[in-house]
Amino acid sequence: MLKAPFDPVQLAIPFFVLAIVLEILVGRFGKAKANYETRDTAVSLSMGFGSTVAGLLFGGVVFATTVWVWHHRIFTIPMTAVWAWVAVFLLEDLTYYWFHRLSHERRVWWASHVNHHTSTHYNLSTALRQTWTGGVAGTWLLWLPLSFLGFPPAMVAIQKGVSLVYQFWIHTEAIKRMPRWFEAVFNTPSHHRVHHARNARYLDANYAGILIIWDRLFGTFVPETDEEPCRYGTVKNLGNFNLFHNVFHEWIGIGKDVAGSKSPREALGYVFGPPGWSPDGSRDTSHTLKAKWRARLEAEGSPPQ
Amino acid sequence: MLGNLNGNKFRGDASVLDKALLIQLGGSIAAVALLVAFAAWMGVARATPPLDAEAARALVALEFPDHKPDAVWIAADGAGVIAREGDLALVLYRRGDSYVARDLPWSVIAGLKPTNGRLPVRLGDARPVFAVNDDVWPPKELA
Repeated sequence: MLKAPFDPVQLAIPFFVLAIVLEILVGRFGKAKANYETRDTAVSLSMGFGSTVAGLLFGGVVFATTVWVWHHRIFTIPMTAVWAWVAVFLLEDLTYYWFHRLSHERRVWWASHVNHHTSTHYNLSTALRQTWTGGVAGTWLLWLPLSFLGFPPAMVAIQKGVSLVYQFWIHTEAIKRMPRWFEAVFNTPSHHRVHHARNARYLDANYAGILIIWDRLFGTFVPETDEEPCRYGTVKNLGNFNLFHNVFHEWIGIGKDVAGSKSPREALGYVFGPPGWSPDGSRDTSHTLKAKWRARLEAEGSPPQ
Repeated sequence: MLGNLNGNKFRGDASVLDKALLIQLGGSIAAVALLVAFAAWMGVARATPPLDAEAARALVALEFPDHKPDAVWIAADGAGVIAREGDLALVLYRRGDSYVARDLPWSVIAGLKPTNGRLPVRLGDARPVFAVNDDVWPPKELA
């Protein structure tokens, strides 16, 4: 009930390795689109390795807090009931959606999540480009209500693992579109390509973990269009392949901005405002970039649909 | 250290755990190295031919859609572009098989001095080097 009897992510690691090898091979032999740049791949895989180590360091705190909350639960939900697994699947996925949305729309959480988006490639190694600073950012707190409701910590941990494993295979350009019914309900390579794109049209969209229905429900769904291929990375791509710069650059940026802020309100804006927020509006946020994009299209006589 | 506090049995468990963890970490590092080497060996990076005038203009338009540069200069090796729009320099350089875009005051770029055909540009998080013909800077296209 407390500790998960197995970790879906650990079990899936051999599959991850084989799938990456396969994707490289299909790219090499021209069977599907797949590009790997050596240093980019090294950063992605090193981020994956480092996040495992960071997880070991911070995992105790997360586990102890989760168990403490579960001891103060409202209900006792059995781990053996099918309905409980259906419920945890839906509620964990909804939690993931809001975690992910916050991670893009508030700078302090973006600082932890941005390194998942710094690759200018979109391949299976990008999926492993995971955060090192999630524990410090505290986004794991968002899952505590599930334990407070009464879902055993092991159940929540397994479902989180299942979600992470599911999201691995959608980080690819090798698969164009899944069947229509699947695209309507589930997160897919096409939907997630949009999420990783830096084109203004695609910014801040498709936050789903497993089910894309949350984006459709909360108005953040944007379909991939053939007219505008996705360009990957961040709005301002990193200038180098330094692993530690990749991990900490946004935290350092926040620190510099807060140190130079003229009032507590400004400091709070730099920390909790959207990425790109500035007191005088001189920097671009996703919102301003989208507004400029719309204005350009309107000026060209082809407003966005 | 915990083993010393908790007796022999725990010390034994901890050492097994430590060993298993070390094997797992070592295996992960080896797997990462092998996968990176495999990707390099397979050579599946994007093609990055030297930029010509058309490609350079298209790249500038893509990365700086709200700007209308007066002039565009292409590095001698075709791996970078510097465009000028009044007092602003729009800089693009190749990083791996992609390009990085930055803007900075034209005065900063104009004040640089190339040596041996190399023009290093100091940016916040990188120091790209542009290939320059004849060590003449700024070039007549941008001056």
